[in-house]
Amino acid sequence: MITLILEFQPNDLNFNVPAIFIDEIFGDTHFIGIVNNNVLNEILGVLIILSSLLVAFSKEKSEDEYISKIRLESLVWAVYLNYAILLISFLFIFYLSFLWVMIFNMFTILLFFIIRFNWQISKLKKSARYEE
Amino acid sequence: MKNSIKVERAKKNITQAELAKLAKVSRQTINAMELGKYVPSTVLTLRLAQIFEVEISEIFTLEDSDWV
Repeated sequence: MITLILEFQPNDLNFNVPAIFIDEIFGDTHFIGIVNNNVLNEILGVLIILSSLLVAFSKEKSEDEYISKIRLESLVWAVYLNYAILLISFLFIFYLSFLWVMIFNMFTILLFFIIRFNWQISKLKKSARYEE
Repeated sequence: MKNSIKVERAKKNITQAELAKLAKVSRQTINAMELGKYVPSTVLTLRLAQIFEVEISEIFTLEDSDWV
């Protein structure tokens, strides 16, 4: 994440990679082609998404219908929260700083889900602990 | 929806954990049902009825708030 923010780009990771859509700043727009790009942020982005997907959707040790219900509820809740925050950012964050909003927004929906789901599960475990 | 899982459990003299094992759910789910926090699916309801060897209506009863 820090590397994404600081836009750290080591030179030995520059590669020519295939692209579906190309819109060059001082050039024309065209579909399908090759661009020279630093792949570090792609690698990190893929890793973050894959790992958070694994954390988010791995089955609990005792996954049953109640846990699934909590899972679905948390997912809906995360979507609501994510779009609420996005809406506020739309209205009050402008120009280049909005780019940060967009970058973070790629990952926050899963992050909110993971936080909320684990919080609910730990609450559930705590409440069940003291019953006989 | 009200339920008498706790009563049925006492009749059979089994703990939440034992019932959870029999019904193939987690203990937290049994606990949440007894506290009225969770309405079980039809399948789980049928499983519980079979475990307790009673009719579903003897364990689960509707409340007025279910009609709102």
